[in-house]
Amino acid sequence: MVTIADPPRVLDAHASRVWLRRFARTTAGVVVLVAIIVSTTCVVGGLACGAALNARITEQRAVLENTEPFAYAAQNLYAALSAADAAAATAFLSGGTQTPLTRARYQQALAAAASALADATAGSPDMATRQALAGISAKLATYTGLVEAARANNVQGFPIGSAYLREASTLMQTSLLPAAAKVFTDDLARVDEAQREVGKPPVVGLLLLGLAVIAIVVGSVILFRRTNRQFNVGLVVAAVVVIAAIGWVVVATRFAAADIEHSRVDGTGKIGQLAEARILAQQARTDETLQLITRGDITASEKAYFGYIDDLTARLGTGSPAATAAVDSWVAGHRRQVAAYAEDYPAAVAQALSTERGGSAAQFAVVESSLREDIEATRETLREGVADAGGYLAWTPTGTLVLAVIAAAAVVVGLWPRLKEFL
Amino acid sequence: MKRRVATVLLATALTVAGCGVSATPPPSISLGPAIVRPAGAEEVTAPPQAPVADCDVEASLRPGTQPPPGDMPPESTMAKIQERGRLIVGVDQNTFMSGFRDPATGELAGFDIDLAREIAQKIFGDPDKIVLQVVDAGQRESALKSGQVDLIVRTFSITCARKENVDFSTVYLYAKQRILVPKKSRIDSAASLSGKRVCAVTGTTSLIRLYELKPKPNLIEVPSWTDCLVMLQQAQVDAISTDDVVLLGLAKQDPSLRVVGDSLGIEPYGVGVAKGKEDLVRFVNGVLAQMRADGTWERLYSTWYSSLGPSPGPPEPRYQD
Repeated sequence: MVTIADPPRVLDAHASRVWLRRFARTTAGVVVLVAIIVSTTCVVGGLACGAALNARITEQRAVLENTEPFAYAAQNLYAALSAADAAAATAFLSGGTQTPLTRARYQQALAAAASALADATAGSPDMATRQALAGISAKLATYTGLVEAARANNVQGFPIGSAYLREASTLMQTSLLPAAAKVFTDDLARVDEAQREVGKPPVVGLLLLGLAVIAIVVGSVILFRRTNRQFNVGLVVAAVVVIAAIGWVVVATRFAAADIEHSRVDGTGKIGQLAEARILAQQARTDETLQLITRGDITASEKAYFGYIDDLTARLGTGSPAATAAVDSWVAGHRRQVAAYAEDYPAAVAQALSTERGGSAAQFAVVESSLREDIEATRETLREGVADAGGYLAWTPTGTLVLAVIAAAAVVVGLWPRLKEFL
Repeated sequence: MKRRVATVLLATALTVAGCGVSATPPPSISLGPAIVRPAGAEEVTAPPQAPVADCDVEASLRPGTQPPPGDMPPESTMAKIQERGRLIVGVDQNTFMSGFRDPATGELAGFDIDLAREIAQKIFGDPDKIVLQVVDAGQRESALKSGQVDLIVRTFSITCARKENVDFSTVYLYAKQRILVPKKSRIDSAASLSGKRVCAVTGTTSLIRLYELKPKPNLIEVPSWTDCLVMLQQAQVDAISTDDVVLLGLAKQDPSLRVVGDSLGIEPYGVGVAKGKEDLVRFVNGVLAQMRADGTWERLYSTWYSSLGPSPGPPEPRYQD
């Protein structure tokens, strides 16, 4: 049945193609062709541009709603984990039995870690990150078990308590914290990548709109030769509208890109630096307390401490005067601790743990809180930049599409009287 | 018939329309158990120490007349220590009863700590003129060599190999190497350690002796004896083998353990002194001789090691000149 039906259809198509070719050579045909080609390029250009801009807005929303909050959660996770470790070590140094205050601090840090872990897991973008976060979760459970074992043994006066605490701290320092740091740096890189995407101009869409302008010019020239009329109002209006659309898109994306650049350099980049500074401060603090727990030769540990501090001040630069000042008084406190270490060990411990003014614990808390405040402020810069960029882009997809349709309609309306002359 | 075809077509159309959502569930992640070991825990594969020619292990220098506290002979090593104001001693903080950190006070205590304080007492007339520096077992010789500490009082077995690098006082305690296992374990001798995982501390004579056992057990080395106990409690090793005084301290922290087996060997403990400080060796030997004579040794033994059984009495010193 199908084989019988085919030949007439082919014949039919052939005949209509011949007719079309003949029609296209007539002036009426040329007018129709110009109308179709010009209006189509307008609409296609508008669609492509609108779609690209829409994708940028989606990406921009994803940064604000997902990627950035996830990076923030990962950064909080790191801070909470190291705070828990610091609280455990402090409790150990100040005598095995925890005071209600140190116990409360430890439990608060664990709760903060659990919250950050839930936030981070919910925003986790891929399998590898979920796997890493599950690993942190499992090891955190093991860690708390070891800390409690240490506590139970310390209460009985058994030195094995310190072995459990060493094991717990090793787990934290060599496994949990590096994993959390990696989750954070990976996600910060994703934030940066997404920001770049938002700031990119929609090149293909703009080229297509440019093509529409060229099509209008070429169409006008052809019509001028055929009909001897200089300007077609419809085509002129279409050209103006398309050029306006191009201008709008270029200006909006330029403004958006400027905001994004600000958000990347003064937001994302600075958060990276501050987070590294925070990690270095935590490592220096761990080193400081660990050298009291180990109570051996501190030459190597001192070298490591000042290495961390040097890196820390380099990261801070001149951008965070409060944190830099706090680091200076912390280092002064550390020097008092080292001076007391050999002659008067209990005084060194007291210096390290003191939360009075001048105590290392107090100074470290100031460093930590000023870094945290800087991170919060920088986070706002990051998010505001991205949100502002979104503001510039907000109406561009609809706008370009509407303008493109108006241009196409202007072409059709403008050419209709020319075509009518032949009907 | 037609209706059935229509149904099939409709069903196919619906399935095709719903494409993109697959029936296979998304992959879920899975983790192995989080195994934790103490920092520095390693399998022992290479022999811990090369064998050394025999020597007279226990012989040490004869003490001269003891100078009174606070009045050390000029130019002597003790005079330099006196000038500095403190005696620096390398000790342990993780071995219960010998040298350990009391978690309640944060202070170091034990037989070795008291012995070190006794030496400070004899130099300054004040047992508190002392700096206690914690030294790992593997670092005892290098801490003396570098001058980081004046003395090592840290369950330090006198051996010929060590005597090539450092000097020793006379013997202040004899220990016997034995085995610590869970009460339910079938291990009851050195022979039954075959194929079992046994823990010991890096750089100790206990580890060397375990390595020489035939057949050799699977050895794991860690930085301190409490790390071994942690691994035993976490079922990562089957037994710990070292000196009875150390094992006693470990067993006191875990009532589910017991010490088994005959002695694998005798360990004579001495105070370690850097090479070339003969005056300090003679002085320490003088202090030890006084402690043996005036009952101080017996007092320390009954304070720290009474649960090992009745005191065997202080070891007889042997002098080489």
